[in-house]
Amino acid sequence: MEFDPQPFNVTFGLLKWGAVTGAITVLALVVGLVASLLSGTSGRILFFRGLSSYVRDIAAVSSGRILAVARLTLKESLRRKALAIFVVFAILLMFAGWFLTSANQQEALQVSVHISFLLTAISWLILPAVMFLACWSIPEDIRVRSLHTVVTKPIRRIEVVLGRIVGFGVVVVVVVVVMGVAGYIWIQRQVPESARDQLTCRVPVYGFLYFKDRTGATARTGVNTGDIWAFRSYIEGNSPARAIWLFDGITPEVLGDQINLESRFEAFRTIKGTAESVELGVEGQYILVNDRREDAFAAFCFSATFRPFCDELRDGQFQNAAVSLREQADATGELTNRECVTFATAAVVARDELNRLSSQVSDELRTSFTAAAAAFEDAAEAAEAVENDDDTAGLENLAGPMRALADSLAEHGDDLLEEMPRLEVALPSFHVTEYHEGQDRYEIPRELTYTGNYEALARFLAEVTAEWNEAGRLIKDNALAADLSNQLASETEMSVLNTELLVEVLQEEIDAGELTVNGNSLSVANGRRWLSYFDQLVRAEKLIPQDPEGWVLKADLYDDLVFDDTLRIEVACLNHQLFIGMARPDLFVKMPDRPFWVGYSKALFSTVLMLLLVVVIGVTASCVVKGPVAFFLTFSVFIIGQTFHSFMIDIVTGNVEGGGMLESVTLILQQRNPSTGMDASELTQTIIHGADTVTRLGLAVASQIVPNFSVFSDATAYVENGFDVRWSFSVLPAIATFFGFLIPCVLLGAAFLKFRELEAK
Amino acid sequence: MVTQDNVIEIRNLSKVYRDFWGRKKVEAVKSLSLDVKRGEVFGLLGPNGSGKTTTIKMLLGLLFPTSGEIRILGRSAADVEKNERIGYLPEESYLYRFLNADETLDFYGQLFRISSAERAERADRLIKLVGLESARRRQLKEYSKGMTRRIGLAQALINNPDLVLLDEPTSGLDPIGTREMKDMILRLRDEGKTVVLCSHQLADVQDVSDRIAVLFQGELKVLGEVDQLLELRNETEIRTGHLSEEAIAEVQAVLEKHSAGSSTFRRPRADLEQLFLRTVRESGERPGRRFTAEEMAATQPSGGDESTSDTAGTAETTVEKSDS
Repeated sequence: MEFDPQPFNVTFGLLKWGAVTGAITVLALVVGLVASLLSGTSGRILFFRGLSSYVRDIAAVSSGRILAVARLTLKESLRRKALAIFVVFAILLMFAGWFLTSANQQEALQVSVHISFLLTAISWLILPAVMFLACWSIPEDIRVRSLHTVVTKPIRRIEVVLGRIVGFGVVVVVVVVVMGVAGYIWIQRQVPESARDQLTCRVPVYGFLYFKDRTGATARTGVNTGDIWAFRSYIEGNSPARAIWLFDGITPEVLGDQINLESRFEAFRTIKGTAESVELGVEGQYILVNDRREDAFAAFCFSATFRPFCDELRDGQFQNAAVSLREQADATGELTNRECVTFATAAVVARDELNRLSSQVSDELRTSFTAAAAAFEDAAEAAEAVENDDDTAGLENLAGPMRALADSLAEHGDDLLEEMPRLEVALPSFHVTEYHEGQDRYEIPRELTYTGNYEALARFLAEVTAEWNEAGRLIKDNALAADLSNQLASETEMSVLNTELLVEVLQEEIDAGELTVNGNSLSVANGRRWLSYFDQLVRAEKLIPQDPEGWVLKADLYDDLVFDDTLRIEVACLNHQLFIGMARPDLFVKMPDRPFWVGYSKALFSTVLMLLLVVVIGVTASCVVKGPVAFFLTFSVFIIGQTFHSFMIDIVTGNVEGGGMLESVTLILQQRNPSTGMDASELTQTIIHGADTVTRLGLAVASQIVPNFSVFSDATAYVENGFDVRWSFSVLPAIATFFGFLIPCVLLGAAFLKFRELEAK
Repeated sequence: MVTQDNVIEIRNLSKVYRDFWGRKKVEAVKSLSLDVKRGEVFGLLGPNGSGKTTTIKMLLGLLFPTSGEIRILGRSAADVEKNERIGYLPEESYLYRFLNADETLDFYGQLFRISSAERAERADRLIKLVGLESARRRQLKEYSKGMTRRIGLAQALINNPDLVLLDEPTSGLDPIGTREMKDMILRLRDEGKTVVLCSHQLADVQDVSDRIAVLFQGELKVLGEVDQLLELRNETEIRTGHLSEEAIAEVQAVLEKHSAGSSTFRRPRADLEQLFLRTVRESGERPGRRFTAEEMAATQPSGGDESTSDTAGTAETTVEKSDS
C-alpha cells in the first residue's frame, strides 16, 4: 500500500478557504453590481435591497423552521420508500460470503477483502439513492408547487435549503449507522476464524522525512534510482547519506517501555553485493539521534563558504567555530549577496533555537544562551542589510557583528555545549530484502546499551566525575582515592579495564597540572567545565579504551534521546554501492493496537461526511436547475472530485510531465515523449503554451470549486489495510472539506432560491 | 401613500414576462394601482390571462414586479415577515400529498413557530371547521378535490391571519361546500379580517365581496363597491310580500303620492356576471379605456343579458318590505 497520510494544516486550510470563498463572493457581488448598474437606477436599488434582505435572512435563520422542513424531508424519504436499500444491502450481505472467502488468501488479505466489500457496498448503495433524493426534492416541490405554499409562510429560502440538507443528512446518518452496525456484526461472523485476530487496528505514528546526501548535506529527497514515477527515494550505502524521520508524540505514557517500529523499505543494487547481502538482503541501521546543535546551526551548511563554521558548530567545537567565523569576518569583501542571504537566514534560525532553549536551561546558563542569541540577531540584521542591496554595499558593516558573534561563541561556547548535546545511538543492523510482502518489525527497548562516540563518552565521564567529586569520593587525602578504579567499576557501567584507564589518565592530568586537587575536591585547572575538559581529553585520544568492547554506555530512550516528545531516527545503508529506498509512510512508530471498531467507525464517519457533501451539492444544484440536470451535475462533480482531483492539481502545479492539454495532444500526434518536447516552430510553441496556460488557469479554478472527494475514502483505505491513523490525518481533512463546501453551498443555494421567481413563465 | 386603513396598497405595478434572451414575451400587469381596505372582502376578477393571479403572486413574493410598488400589511412584498399575518389558499391546494391532514397543519404551524400544544389545538379546531374529522389520518393523495380545498383552507388559517388571500376558493367544492366557504369568508370579515379572493365563480364573488376590481389584459378596468357597481340608476325596485290586486292598486295609488312608510325602496341590481361580460366586451371595443363606476352603472341594462336590453329605461318599481 502506498498511501501517504499527511496531517491536515488547519491554519493553512482556513486561509485557503477564506481566500477562495472570498474571491468568489467578491466576484459574484461585482458581477451582480455591474448587472444592476446596467439596468438603471431601479436595478441598483433592487441589488442593494436584495443584498440587505439576503443578509437579514441569514441573520434571522430559525432552527425551528429548519427542523420543520427537516422532519418533512425525513417523512418524505420514508414514505417514498428510500429505506428499500436496506433490502438490497441485506441480500448483498447474505450472498457476498460465497464469493469473498478463499482459503488460499493470506489472513490479512481476507480481512481486507471483507472490510473493503462492506464499506464499498455501504457507500455505493446509499450514494445513488441519496443523490436522487437530494437532487429531485426542491425541483419536484417547485414543479408540483408545494413549495409555493411553503414560501407564503414566514420561512426564509435559506431555511428551506438547510432544512432539506438536515433532513437528508438524518436519513444518511440513520442508514449508514444501521448498515454499519449490521456490517460490523457480519464481518465478525464472516471473517474466517483463522483470520479473526487480524481484526485490529494498528496505530501508526508517521513522521516527517528528510534526507542527508552522500556528503552529509541536508536534502529534501534521496537518490532517484531511475524510475521517474518512483514513490520512494534512496540512500546510498556506506556513505553519510541518511534518511531522517522526526516522530512527534513519543512519550512513555503512550508507548511504554518499548518502541515498536514497522517499516517497508526497498532494496536497490547497482552491483550484486556480498554473498551475505545476497542471502540476507541489504544491511541497514537505525540510529537514534538527539541533536540540539543540528536544529540550531545546520542552516549555515547551505553556504559552502560557511560550511567549516557550520561543521564546527554542529560538532560542538564552539572555539573552533569562533576562529572560523573570525576568518570570514576578515574576508567579508569576498562574500556574495546570496551568501549573505544564507547567513542571515541561518542566523535567524540559530537565534530562535537558542531563545527557545534558553527558556529550558538553568538560570546559570540562561545568560549565555540569550547573549549568544543576541549576537546571532545582530549578525543576522547586518547580513540582511547587505541582502537588501544589489551591489553588496554594507559588507563593511557585517564584519563587526560577525566578530562580535565569534567572541560571544568563544565566551559562551562551554555553556552552550552543556545544554546542546548531540547523542547518537546506533542500533543493531537489519536487512532489507527485495520483493517481500508485509511490514518488517523492529523493537527498540527503553534501556539502550551502545558504544559511545567522543561526545557521548565525554558527557558520561563528565557526569560521573562531577558527581563523585561532589560526593567527595574522588579525592582522599589530597590524592585520588585508593580503590577508585574498583569502586567506579562496581557502581557504574564502566568495565574495570576502562576505569583503570580513567584513573590513570586523571592521575596524569593532576601530575601535569591540568587538574588541581583542593582538599577533597578536584577541579579543572583553568576553571573550565568538566564537559569541555573531557571533550578535549577524548578528542585528544587520551582515553582510547583498553576494553576491546570499547566504552559501552547506557542511555534511556525517553530521557536521553527524545526531546520535546520528538524522536529522531536516522536510517543508514551499510553496504557499499547498494541502496535502501523509502518514502515517508515506510517507517512508522507503532502505538498499542486499537480495537477494530475504532478504525471502522472512523471509516463510517468519513463515509457519512462524503454522503452529506453529496447531499449538500445535490440540494444546491437543485436550487438552480431541474432535477435531472442537478443529478447529472452532482454525479459529475462527485466523479471528478473522487477520481481526477489530484490529477487536476498535478496538472495545475506542473507536476505532470508533458505540459498542458494542447502540448500533450501535440506530443501524442508527433509520437514524441514528454522529455524531448514538441517539434514545432517557436511561434507555434508560444501559442500552444499560451493556450495551455489559459486552460491550466481554468483547471486551477475548477480544482478549487470541485471538492476533493478522495479525502473521504482515506479512512476507508486505512481500516482496510488494518490501520487506525490519527484523526488529524484521516478524519480532519474530511471534516474540513465537508464544512469548507457546506457553508458556500448553502449560501449559494439560498441565494439562487431567493432570487429566482418560483412562478416564472 | 400607506394608510392604516389599507391592508394592501399597489402603485403602478407592472409585470413583464421575458424569454430566455430577455426579450419581452408578455406584459401580464400594466400600471396597476389599487388599495384593499382593512376588514373588507375584496374580489379580483378578470378573464383568463388578465393578470389577477400574477398580481396575487406578486403580493405573496412568488413573482417579482418589473416596476411599481407593493405594500402589504405595511411591509414590502419581498419581506418574509409579512407572511406571519397572511393566510394563502392557492388555486390548486399545493400541499404535500404524502402527509395527512394533522401532519399538514402541524407542518405549516411549525413554520409560524406556534407551540406544539397550540398547534394541536388549532389543528383540531380547523379540521372540525372544514369538516375533515373522519379523514384526518388519511394521506392527502387519497383526498377528493373538495377535501383538498378544505384542508387547503385550514392550512391558510392555521396562523389566525389578518389577511386571507383565496385563489379560486370555491373551485372543486359542491354547492354545500361552496355555501360553507362563502359563510366562512363572511365570518372572517365579521372577525375583522381582510379577505382578497380571486375567482371565476362570479355569483360567489358577488355574494361575499364588498368591493371588486376587474382586470383585463393586465389593466385595471373597473374598481368599486359591488353595490355601487351593480346599481341600476334608471330604475326603481319596490319589493314586498304577497299583495292582493286591490292592495297593489292601493299601494300604487299611495306611491304616487307618498313614499312607502316602513317599506324600503332601492334600485334593482343586475348580477355580477352581466357587469363582468360587459366590461370584457367594452374593453375589447375600446382598448386603453378605464371605466368609472358611474359610467358602468348609468348604462347598465335592466335585463340579465343583451336580449333584454330593449327594456332599458322602463319604469319598473319594486317595493321591498319586511314581513316583520
